[in-house]
Amino acid sequence: MGTLNITVIIKLEPDFSEGNVSYNPDGTLNRAETKNTLGPHSGIAAHAAFFGRVMYDAKVFIVTMGPPIADLALQQAQQISDAEELHLYSDRLFAGADTLGTAEVLRVGIEKMPHKMDIVFSGHRASDGETGQTGPQTAWKLGFTFLGNVISYSVDLETRTIRAKRLISLQGSPNVVEEVEAPLPVFISIDPTYKSNYDAVSQRLAFEKYQKEAIQRAQNFKDYLKVFNAKELGVDETLVGLPGSPTIVYKVERVPKSTATRRAEVIDGTDPEQIRKVVTKMKEALSAMVIK
Amino acid sequence: MTEKYRHLYVIIEHEDGKFLPVSFEMIGEARRLLDDFNLKYSSNEKVVAVILGHNIKDISKKLIEYGSDVVIFADNPELKDIRNTIYTKVICQIAQDTKSLGEIEPEYAGEVKKPRYMFFAADSIGRHLSSTVLVELESGLASDINQLVIEDIEMSHQQKTGGTKETYKKTLKMYRPDFSGFLWTTILCLDNKNPAFQRDYHPQSCSIIPGVFESLKPDSSREGKIIEFIPTIDEEDLKVKVLSRQIIKSVVDFDTPRTIVSFGRGIKENPEQNIRLVENLAKELNAEIGVTLPISKKPYSVSQALDSKYMIPDRVIGTSGHKTSAMLYVAAGVSGAMQHVWGMKDSGFVVAINPDEDAPIKNECDIFIKGRMEDVIPLLIEEIKKQIQIVEA
Repeated sequence: MGTLNITVIIKLEPDFSEGNVSYNPDGTLNRAETKNTLGPHSGIAAHAAFFGRVMYDAKVFIVTMGPPIADLALQQAQQISDAEELHLYSDRLFAGADTLGTAEVLRVGIEKMPHKMDIVFSGHRASDGETGQTGPQTAWKLGFTFLGNVISYSVDLETRTIRAKRLISLQGSPNVVEEVEAPLPVFISIDPTYKSNYDAVSQRLAFEKYQKEAIQRAQNFKDYLKVFNAKELGVDETLVGLPGSPTIVYKVERVPKSTATRRAEVIDGTDPEQIRKVVTKMKEALSAMVIK
Repeated sequence: MTEKYRHLYVIIEHEDGKFLPVSFEMIGEARRLLDDFNLKYSSNEKVVAVILGHNIKDISKKLIEYGSDVVIFADNPELKDIRNTIYTKVICQIAQDTKSLGEIEPEYAGEVKKPRYMFFAADSIGRHLSSTVLVELESGLASDINQLVIEDIEMSHQQKTGGTKETYKKTLKMYRPDFSGFLWTTILCLDNKNPAFQRDYHPQSCSIIPGVFESLKPDSSREGKIIEFIPTIDEEDLKVKVLSRQIIKSVVDFDTPRTIVSFGRGIKENPEQNIRLVENLAKELNAEIGVTLPISKKPYSVSQALDSKYMIPDRVIGTSGHKTSAMLYVAAGVSGAMQHVWGMKDSGFVVAINPDEDAPIKNECDIFIKGRMEDVIPLLIEEIKKQIQIVEA
C-alpha cells in the first residue's frame, strides 16, 4: 500500500451570496463593492480532496494563482480539506492571463511540489469567468489523464488505479453516468453534483478526526502558506500572464435590448379581477395547445 | 502569398453514429460565416467537418448534406468511446495533417499548416476536448459563444502589438454572454506581433452553446470531399477504460410538463417564503420549476431542503442550462437577461410577474403582471383553484 498525494486547484471568486454581492443598477456585477470568497466549485473540489484524506489518509495540498488576498480562499479550502500545504502563486506578471497562461503557472507549480502528485482536482468552472478550461488545460500540460464531470471516485492503493463515475449530459439525450478506470496519476474536474459518502463507522470517525485537524490548521493557516512569485517558481515569462495568453478581451458591452418578441398586456397584480382574467387566458393557452 | 492557415474545422459530436443537433448547428453557422468570408476576401476556404468514431464512414456523407465542403473521418475501434486523451491526440493529428490539408486544396498542398478556425460544442464532451486540443496546438480558445463575426481588426495593444497599430486580418470575433447575462464579452485570439514575444496563435477556436445557431436544411444534392484519416494510436493514450454506461433519469424534467414556473432574484425579499410560494403555484399547475443562472449560484441562504432542491444548475433555464418550449411559462421575479430568455422564448404562452415595468422580460411575455410575487402569487393560486383542474397525466 502506498500513500496518496492530492493537489486541489482553487480560485478566489466574487461572493455571489446575498449581503456580499453588489449589483449595479443595470444588473451587472459591481466588482468593487462585492466581497470575495472561495469559489463554490473550488469548495466542491476541496470536499473531494477531503474524501481522499478520510478514505486513504491522503496528503492534501492546495494551490491557487491570484493576488495576495487569495490566501483567504486557501484558508477556506484548508478548512474543508485538511491540507498540509497551501501554495499561492502571486506575481504581477501573472495578471491578465487567459486560461492557457494560467494553466502554465499551475503546471510549473504542481511539478515543483515536494511530492509527485497522484490526483489533481479542480472545480467544474469558476463562477465569474465560467470557462471551465483551466482544469483540463492544466491536466494536459501536466501530462495527466483527464477525467471530467466526476461525481464520485474510489482509489485502489495497491494497483494504483482510480475508478470514477462521470456525469455526461448532452443536448437532446438523457444523462449518462459513465464509469471509468484509469491508472494514477489523474486530473479530475469535479462535477457540481459530486457528493462524498462516508458509510462505515470507521470512515465517520476518521472524518471527525480530520475535520478537527482541518479547523485547527485553518486557524493558523499562515503557518502552512507558501507564496511564490514568478522567479521563485521559475516560469518562462513569455508563457504566462499577458504574453502567454493567445486571447484577449476585446470589448465588453451591454447586451443590446432585444426588440420585443411579444407584446405584453400589462396587468395590475393587486387587482383580483384582472388576475381572474389572466388565469382564464392561462387556461385557454393550456387547452388550446392540447387540441393542437 | 499563401497563408499558413486556411479553413474552418468543426469537431462533430455524435453518440454511436447519431449526430447531436449541435453538430449541424455548428456546420450551419460555419457555412454562413465562410460564404460571407469567401465573398468578401475572394477566397475559397472550406467548412471541414471532423468526425471520430467507429463504423462511421457511412454517416459522414450526411455532414456534406448539412453544409460541409469536406469531411475528414477517423475510424478506429479505439475511438468508439469518447476518451479525452486519445480524442485530443487524433484531433490534433488531423489539424496538423498537411496531407489532408493538401487534399482539400491541392493547389496549396504543402503550404497550409493548420486550420484557421476551429469550432467545438460547449457541452460535457466538447468543453474539455476543446481545452486540451488547444493546449496541444498552443493556441487560444473562447468558451460558450453565442455570436460570431469575421472581420479585419485594426488595433494597438500594449502586449499584442507592442503599442504600435497593426491590422489583424480575418479575425474571428467571438461573443460570449457573461454570468450575469447582461454583459457581452468579445474575445479575440490574436498572434503576438510584439517583437519581444512574437508567436502565432492559430487556429482561432471556440466552443459553441448548443441550440444557439440554426442548422441548414439538409440537401442531398450537395457535393463534397470525404477524406479518411488513419490515426496513429499509441497504447499510452488508451489508459482510460470505460467500464459501463448507464442512462439516468434527471430529477428535473423540462421536456414533458406542459407548464414551467421559474423564479429569479425577485425572491430576494423573503427567499424561503417566496420559493414556497413558487412551489405552491407550480403544484397547482402541475408544473416543473426552473431557475435563472444567478439562483444556481446560491445567492440566498434558505433551508437545506429548498437549497438542494432548487438552487442547482440542473434547474437553470437558459444558455448555460436548458431550453424549453413549454405551453405555459410563468416567470416570477425574473428580470429577463438574454441568456435566460434564450431558454424560454420558444414557450407557448408567457406570463411574467415583476414589479419593474422596465425589466427586459416585459418584451418576452404575453402578460406582464406588475407586482411583487409575494402579493401576486397568492391571488393567482386562489384563482387557479377556482378555474383550472389539472388532471395528472
